[in-house]
Amino acid sequence: MFSSAEHWTERIRTVNASNPIPTDHETFRASIRAFLKEALTPELVRAGERTTSVFSDFEAGRRWQSILHAKGWGAPEWPMEHGGTGWDIQQRYIFLEECKLANAPNPVMMGIQMLGPMLMHFGTEAQKTQFLPGIISGDDVWCQGYSEPGSGSDLASLKTTADLDGDEYVVNGTKIWTSMAHHSNWIFCLVRTDKNVKPQAGISFLLIDMATPGITVAPFSSLDGEVEQCQVFFENVRVPAANLLGEEHQGWTVAKYLLEFERGGQHFTIELKKQLGKLQRAMANPNSRAVDDPTYAYRVAETEIDVMALEQTELRIKGSLSAGDNSGALSSLVKVSGTELGQRCAELLIEAAGQSAMPWQSEVLAPDYTGDTAAPTESVTTMAEYINSRATTIYGGTAEIQRGIIAKHVLGL
Amino acid sequence: MSAHMTEDQTLLQDAAERYLRDSYDFNQRRERIAEGVYSDPNQWQAFAEMGWLALPVDEEFGGLGMGTREMAILAELCGQFLVTEPLIDAMTSTHAIIGVSQQQQSLLPRVAEGELIPIAAIDEAETASRLTPATTLTQTDEGWHLSGAKHWISAGASATHLTVLAQSADGLAWVLVPTAANGVKCEHFPTHDGRGGMNCQFDLVLEADHILLQGQPASDALEAYRTLAMTLSSAETLGATQAALNTTVDYTKQRVQFGQPLASFQALQHRMSNMLIQTELTRSLIYAACNAADSAHDDAARFARAAKVKATTVGRSVSQEAIQLHGGIATTDEYIVGHFFKRITALESWVCSKGEALKEFMALSPS
Repeated sequence: MFSSAEHWTERIRTVNASNPIPTDHETFRASIRAFLKEALTPELVRAGERTTSVFSDFEAGRRWQSILHAKGWGAPEWPMEHGGTGWDIQQRYIFLEECKLANAPNPVMMGIQMLGPMLMHFGTEAQKTQFLPGIISGDDVWCQGYSEPGSGSDLASLKTTADLDGDEYVVNGTKIWTSMAHHSNWIFCLVRTDKNVKPQAGISFLLIDMATPGITVAPFSSLDGEVEQCQVFFENVRVPAANLLGEEHQGWTVAKYLLEFERGGQHFTIELKKQLGKLQRAMANPNSRAVDDPTYAYRVAETEIDVMALEQTELRIKGSLSAGDNSGALSSLVKVSGTELGQRCAELLIEAAGQSAMPWQSEVLAPDYTGDTAAPTESVTTMAEYINSRATTIYGGTAEIQRGIIAKHVLGL
Repeated sequence: MSAHMTEDQTLLQDAAERYLRDSYDFNQRRERIAEGVYSDPNQWQAFAEMGWLALPVDEEFGGLGMGTREMAILAELCGQFLVTEPLIDAMTSTHAIIGVSQQQQSLLPRVAEGELIPIAAIDEAETASRLTPATTLTQTDEGWHLSGAKHWISAGASATHLTVLAQSADGLAWVLVPTAANGVKCEHFPTHDGRGGMNCQFDLVLEADHILLQGQPASDALEAYRTLAMTLSSAETLGATQAALNTTVDYTKQRVQFGQPLASFQALQHRMSNMLIQTELTRSLIYAACNAADSAHDDAARFARAAKVKATTVGRSVSQEAIQLHGGIATTDEYIVGHFFKRITALESWVCSKGEALKEFMALSPS
């Protein structure tokens, strides 16, 4: 009943009951697979395998982005004119799926996924020319300066100010939860440019060079001991007014546009199906603690059914989008379900690992580490994944914020 | 979020919804059930005239030859409007059993016209599994002797014929038994979901032409019947679940306590958001199960079981939450929401439970 890892690798490919992938896409899949086999070095694969949060080892991710860029696949979601691949929605899905299955590392994606679409929509020609090439090549690493110590879910209350002085803004304040700021050379920020209007109406969107005098980056450890998060301080930081994205005071509109762009573009089930594969392997492993638990197989099966339901929902959303139906808070629905299901998988995995998940060996997470480990590598990464999974229902709009959006925009409450 | 329906499916759904909205009033339903009328012959005739009963019948036998997706559209509406006539019961028996029998040519047109109302009789009071009946079919000099008893046949009181699952020397058999035949002793009782249930004892001799299927074809039909029943009961559960959610949202917008509508309280808003999220996820899986069945996908049986597990889990929690969020009024018989809860509860164990579906899901490898 519970079969081999190879079988599972096969199994977690797209199961789409309503729209089987056309055969010409299977040719496409084969070409992606062939490329990945060639391009992914053992070290890059180790970086992928040892990824325990959104981010892989930074240098490995960066190397991978430059390889993809050289192949012309640096940003498949982007339009052709800016370096996109011209793939259809299914091909893009296949690409992501195959990268995940082959354990490719994750590059830092804030530039490609978040800033890129906003630049293309709101940027001046000069801004596009200046910034898009560096984003897609990975030469520029962007971080996102939205949250502040006093402004989490209530983002519009943000207090970092930008006052116009000649043709420069002078920025003062602080940003927090700035992932990868310590590796970034640029930051895109929401700043307050008008204090005398309602909060959303006084915000602007600024692109800031991290090398500008007055910026300090203070990294801090997450619960798993790894450093991904930072606080960034701005003290009289002078930013050219030409780095304003969109109109002054229209920053909220710029940031909200990204939500539209993201809608339906989320693929939680690719990652979740990979997790299901790990759960099946845990059940097949005679040394796993899952063998002592009579409820384990049932809980995994129910989780698999929930993943199937989410996958079919993601496909329904894609169908709706191509039919022009962009209503409803669909991304909230998918975000809540996808992250909570990921957390459930992570819980099941540490249960199967038992005490073997307890050794805390952060050096094992480095892709160049090939030495001894106190427990199997998969156990070591399992606990870090579990610990980090708690953040998934907090970042990018908490599960409570998402439920509020659904209540307001879908149920009309 | 669209459900990807064809033009024909949209027409079917719109017409059926319009009919039920106009002609299936909840209060009239309540009065009718109070008088002991669980299935309204006029409604059944109307269903026949609208082509609903011909839906699962092949075109060569006067039917519409439609698929699982279309049957699920009607099933969902049955849940939404609390239809007590045995529509999914008759559709499953017709499609999976009668429709593959030798007698299809003579029987199917009668089903489509509404004259023959078939319901499958599977459950027994004392047997280890629903799949191994103690009821026997034995060949004798006089003909085929059917002996045994079937219990708790949902809406059985509305059937003209039962398709009875029995054990024969050649394996399983499906036997068509008129409920009015000599040697059939039936006991009727009302059920919590407003239907007329039935227990039956059989001690009669039948002509060979009453045997619909025997041996491997009978086993195959049982599998097809159960798979279809899981999908359609999930769809009916979905319809009732969505209706319970809608009723709750409407009610909490109107009900004022502490000087404000209940819907303004965040604790309740988030619970209703959860109800919506789970209902939509369930919908996706059920439609996928329908499409898998209609495209003869290798994983069709697996999808049906997944849908059953999900719909049962979500139907139960959403309908329980619907009662809780309403408060006292939902515990009264005259308010609609408790009736969704009761129908969902009845469907939980009809043909297959969540646990049985989960076990079977786990035993099926994906393609």
